[in-house]
Amino acid sequence: MNIVLNWVDFAAISPLLIILVGALLVLLLETFDESASKKYAGILTLATIALAIYAAIVSPPSHNNLLTPWLRFDSLERLFTVLFLAIGFGSALLSSSFFQRFEATRGEYFFLLLSALFGLILVGASADFLTLFLGLETLSIALYVLCGYMKKWEISHEAAIKYFLMGALAAAFLLYGIALIYGAVGTTRFDALLGGYHALAAGSDKVLFLSGIALVTLGLAFKAAIVPFHVWAPDVYDGAPTPVTAFMAVGTKVGAFAAFVRVFFDALPQFDILWHEGIALLAYPTLIYANIVAIRQQQLRRFFAYSGISHAGFLLIPLAAGTPDALSALLFYLVVYALATLGSFAVLAFLDERTEGVLLRDLKGLFRRSPLLAGVLALCLLTLAGIPPTAGFFAKFYVFKVAFEAGYYALVIVGLLTTILSAYYYLRIVAIMFAEVPEETASPKRSWPAALVGAAAFAAIAVISCFPAPLLQLLQLK
Amino acid sequence: MSILFLILFLVPFAASAAAFMFRHIPKWYAVVLSCVPLAILIAGQGRWIGSNIQYAWFPAMSIQFHLNIDALSLVFLYLTAVIIPISLLAAGSLAYAHIFYGLVFLLQGLLIGFFTARDLAVFTIFWEAMLIPLYFIINLWGGPQRQMASLKFLIYMIAGSVLMVAAVLALYFAAGKSFNLDTLAGVSAGAPYAVWLFGIFMLAFAVKTPLFPFHAWLPDAYCQAPVAGTILLSAILSKAGIYGILRIGMELFPTLLQEWSPLLLGLSIAGVFYGGFAAWMQRDFKRLIAYSSFSHVNFVMVGLFVWSQTAHSGAILQALNHGITIAALFLVAGWLEERLGTTSFGHVSGLAKFLPQLCWLTLLFVLSSVALPGTNSFVGELLILFGLFVNYPWAAAFLALTVILSVIYMLRWMQKVYFDEPSLFQDSWMDITVKELAIAAPLAFLILWIGIYPAPVLNQIKPASQKIIAEETT
Repeated sequence: MNIVLNWVDFAAISPLLIILVGALLVLLLETFDESASKKYAGILTLATIALAIYAAIVSPPSHNNLLTPWLRFDSLERLFTVLFLAIGFGSALLSSSFFQRFEATRGEYFFLLLSALFGLILVGASADFLTLFLGLETLSIALYVLCGYMKKWEISHEAAIKYFLMGALAAAFLLYGIALIYGAVGTTRFDALLGGYHALAAGSDKVLFLSGIALVTLGLAFKAAIVPFHVWAPDVYDGAPTPVTAFMAVGTKVGAFAAFVRVFFDALPQFDILWHEGIALLAYPTLIYANIVAIRQQQLRRFFAYSGISHAGFLLIPLAAGTPDALSALLFYLVVYALATLGSFAVLAFLDERTEGVLLRDLKGLFRRSPLLAGVLALCLLTLAGIPPTAGFFAKFYVFKVAFEAGYYALVIVGLLTTILSAYYYLRIVAIMFAEVPEETASPKRSWPAALVGAAAFAAIAVISCFPAPLLQLLQLK
Repeated sequence: MSILFLILFLVPFAASAAAFMFRHIPKWYAVVLSCVPLAILIAGQGRWIGSNIQYAWFPAMSIQFHLNIDALSLVFLYLTAVIIPISLLAAGSLAYAHIFYGLVFLLQGLLIGFFTARDLAVFTIFWEAMLIPLYFIINLWGGPQRQMASLKFLIYMIAGSVLMVAAVLALYFAAGKSFNLDTLAGVSAGAPYAVWLFGIFMLAFAVKTPLFPFHAWLPDAYCQAPVAGTILLSAILSKAGIYGILRIGMELFPTLLQEWSPLLLGLSIAGVFYGGFAAWMQRDFKRLIAYSSFSHVNFVMVGLFVWSQTAHSGAILQALNHGITIAALFLVAGWLEERLGTTSFGHVSGLAKFLPQLCWLTLLFVLSSVALPGTNSFVGELLILFGLFVNYPWAAAFLALTVILSVIYMLRWMQKVYFDEPSLFQDSWMDITVKELAIAAPLAFLILWIGIYPAPVLNQIKPASQKIIAEETT
């Protein structure tokens, strides 16, 4: 039995270690020199994440049996790690832009952001229910604090409390589900789940296992904000500071689906048709409800909560299908969604001046004030609406193809019909941007970090739209 | 030729990117750029058929970026290449002109892709994508109610074609995971729910063209759009629907199209009459031309829905003619609007005295629109009527009455505005300039050329209409 970790093993987990060290350094900097922290905390965070991305790309896999029961080192893990880190990089840039406008201590903020990233990477790499839970909790606890980070904002108080209560409840469900599964098959390791399940005799053990799975699904559905477990999302997104909302909209969403992928694609591929039917049943209300309610939103953080819920509905479709192709479809959709949402928030960062964030009417006449910003936001919204020839169309088309192949015809039809609604509300925003300028609005403030995120998202969407093949090749796992 | 084809396809996109980036682009510069595809088309004349572009676009779903030019594509490519420069010339001085040019170039590129797509997924992508530049053109430079009109236009279009994606996927699986139109043509008839798939495609095409009674978006969009936008909508967008019927309807579902022919014929003949009567009732000449366009487009569709080669060549020719004539009519209507400051008529009359050149130019285009012998529409409509007469003589007799209808409403407009008692002269009533005459000249030339000596154009069209019928009979 191997009981020591070699250098290669440390190298394998180096992204996690780099994030951990970076987070602690940021915290120390804040403790000892507040003014230096004000200047350098953001840069230190960005450097940490950049280094971690590099490490994630070059790090070798570890075969040490001290690590492998807990963490996976496969191509999926690498992909998730890079994706999470890229999202973290974008969010950190947006946060720097936010702090140009609003005054608050930086050190703790970036520490919490890095902790949340740590949790996300853990989720993407988990090989056991315990690491999965640990990752989700690290993520959530950091986010509870981040949500209420602007201590003087009243809406943030409500958001943080709601998020904490709901999140704690979801964690309890998840943990209870894990306990039931452990009770049924006697292990929490993912690689033993499928064998354990098939070895179960029909009867009480199977019921135990399935109840456990149901509770785990429920816990994850809370995190992913799937109807009817979505009620926290609009209030929390609404009350949190804008860069935190961006991180939640993208990072948490991708994290929750990474957890789904780990448990239901990796550990239990197509273990029971019942589960897939159940996921399909969740997809219908998610698609319909979120798309209808999104039409009426005026506050853009809240709007993106509903937009995110509706996209979670689309992401459920490949989960329901569960075919090997579905995984690539899901990942492709996640990447496109993450890019377009981050790009939209980058534009919002330019206009973010008040506690309640950007309202729909603030966008009025944006095109006349800044054609560049309007162009980026328009492309991102068209991508989210899935209008060809943007990458968003390919993402939806791919998801529909997978659903069609698996025989979920009704889901395809409902999904298509809801795209009419989504086209309406995304394009309504575009139309408002192109409307006349009201008299009193000032031109948007300059902010290079947000500009960087916007430009990167714009370029990435444009390239993926014209040449999706390289990204697809990257996502064809195994 | 494939290299030249690639250049033809990429030039508009490059021009579009350039226009978006550089703020101050003189108008003549944009017009020259927009003429490049026409120049390329003419330079490669006679060698276009069979040109290909192909690369694997989205391998996970075997979407091939496959463009191919055949006789049918070529007709519509020429139409696009002619109309785009005209629409740019028709645009007055606009705020943010470079964005406008960029959008028109973008539309040009998307249309070239659409009219040559050989892969059903690529076809669908271009089909939907061309809405976006048009939406912005209406939304940014349109009339007072442009917001509502552009949103209505877009939602109608998306609602019409949203289920097309499902139908495309159904065909994809029926053909064993291929979007290639040639492969699909072999299996589409036997595909499960073929009737539904056909219905979904027809709905999409019917909304875009628009076929009666799917035209509710049309009056607002046509009237609120700027002149250039109206030209694009009426001359090219309606042709996209017609091209869709020719390409998808006739290649993939020939038997169903024949089975549904009585219903579709009935709708389109109703549309011809509805459009004609609606035009008659208008007190606003832009709306009048909009309804007349609707009426004539439905006339074209009559030709499509009769299963006869004569009618099909008539329909393809008439699609081309309608594009030219309606662009010309909206062009002169735009000039008249500039001079009168309004699009409603009845306030002033006898303008022929003050604007003689504009009056005669308008009259030429009006006569082409009412299909006077010697003009282009006469040839097209006559061929359609011939084809219809062989199969449905009574319907042909009935439809021929609409020619009188169009004379009534068009000449009523001419009568009220240009003739009658002259009103008092106003300073803004300047006759058209040499520049404006030069813009209209190519259109007038085409109208008379096709009207007097249609053989070269008909020879171009023949292979397209023959191919469809030949495939059916074998």
